[in-house]
Amino acid sequence: MTLDFFYTGLLQSLILALVAYAIMIPFRLLNFSDLTAEGAYPLGGAVCTTLLLLKMHPILALLIASVASGLMGVATSLIHLRLKVNTLLAGIILSTMMYSVNLRLMGKPNIALFNTSSVFSQTNILYNIGLLVCVLLFLILVLSLFLRTEFGLKLRAVGLNPAFACQQNISVVQYTMLSMFFAGCCTGLAGGLIVQLQHYMDVGMGVGIVIHALAALMIGEAIVGNNTLNNQIIAPCMGALVYQQIQGVVLSIGLAPSDLKFFTGALVLVVIAMQRNRQLEL
Amino acid sequence: MLQLLDVNKSFLNGACPVIKQMNLHLNPGDFCVVIGSNGSGKSTLMKLISGEYIPTQGRIMMQGKSITSHDVASVIQDVNKGTIVEMTLLENIAFSLSRVKKRGFSLYSRQKNTVIQQLKALNIGLEQYINTPLRHLSGGQRQMVATMMALISQPKLLLLDEHTSAIDPSMQKTLMAYTQRSIQQQNLTSLMITHHLDDAIQYGNRLIMLHKGAIVLDVSHQEKAALSVTKLLDLFHYHEHLDLVGRV
Repeated sequence: MTLDFFYTGLLQSLILALVAYAIMIPFRLLNFSDLTAEGAYPLGGAVCTTLLLLKMHPILALLIASVASGLMGVATSLIHLRLKVNTLLAGIILSTMMYSVNLRLMGKPNIALFNTSSVFSQTNILYNIGLLVCVLLFLILVLSLFLRTEFGLKLRAVGLNPAFACQQNISVVQYTMLSMFFAGCCTGLAGGLIVQLQHYMDVGMGVGIVIHALAALMIGEAIVGNNTLNNQIIAPCMGALVYQQIQGVVLSIGLAPSDLKFFTGALVLVVIAMQRNRQLEL
Repeated sequence: MLQLLDVNKSFLNGACPVIKQMNLHLNPGDFCVVIGSNGSGKSTLMKLISGEYIPTQGRIMMQGKSITSHDVASVIQDVNKGTIVEMTLLENIAFSLSRVKKRGFSLYSRQKNTVIQQLKALNIGLEQYINTPLRHLSGGQRQMVATMMALISQPKLLLLDEHTSAIDPSMQKTLMAYTQRSIQQQNLTSLMITHHLDDAIQYGNRLIMLHKGAIVLDVSHQEKAALSVTKLLDLFHYHEHLDLVGRV
């Protein structure tokens, strides 16, 4: 494995970490199984691509892409909370709808971005890694502080014991919507970043992103655990870094890229089985 | 003060009346204990007051206004429902404190010293578990935390629904002593459900017996003070043909 190969994997893992956070927030904090990322990730990419083609500043394009995906998260939570649709189903419905929206935005299924601006350097890969590390550290810091505020405490209460939270006059709807917005923003940011990094947008780029992020989360939790708030916050980042390197290793030793999704699914199942065994031993 | 004005509650479109034309008036500082056999309407009464049920007829008022869930704090038998067992002791107590102070974005760890002081005042060594998730504490300790959480949220009305029934006798005494002391200090209006007649007589300053959804006996503070325990027991046994668990 060359150093460039390692760096490329590292870049992708730092972006995947953002999606892993978007999975962790609803899944672990809200107890809300969510597939919104499958649609929010390409939505972020599509919005960012469209705005870049309109010559918008790349940072502004990222912010708008994040908000667009955040609103998709809010829509998923509203479909679940107001229409009482199962959380997974709500995510699938919206993701399916977003496919058409993305096609409308882009006008065609894939777009190569030539002569558009980007937050990334085309020549300096270490700068790109540094930039993503800063973004990720900022996210971790914000999340870590936020969950330690009284506001964050209430948000965690909504996920852990919604009936009790409701009894304490906490609006489950508002806190769920807020969390889903934040999670959606993370996914949208990741979608926008990957587009600016690869200078390419494909409408089908969200397929399988949830399973990749879930694998990252599961691996992270297997390494650091999820029994404390600190561990919960570190796990997605740690998992994404390790998962992407595992992917790199298995590809370099001959696994066909077409088998990667099968490998990822199997890896998730193995990690879940390991965690289950560990729980039984305790 | 708490007022129930002609409150009725029935289920199945009126086919199953549970609370019948109930009128009740509790003053600040009243520790009213409700006893009654199974099916007498005790839990329904609690759920009506806590806002979980809406009366079919009548009104429930707190200090002259319709009661809201902001006015009430409840401690129930199932401690897993009344606390967040995955969170630490500090987080649980800070959660209740945040209900009162509403400081939003301040870090809850700032409350640590306040919480430690309050735990030390209990004198049962809970302060050493401040960073321990509640699921690792005993049932009695958790119930103590649940009661503490209800009390520090400064409600206008405290509801205790058989909250000592699942814990051992020594912890029951500690918990009840703490509850009674806090109620007196805060001059809080309280309503407690119990199956134990001796607990009712020992802790309550107002005793109410329910039977088939109606108040069949109401012993005021003055009447209770004037009667001996034996007399009170006779009175209660006379008023129902009861299956209460008397342990005196």
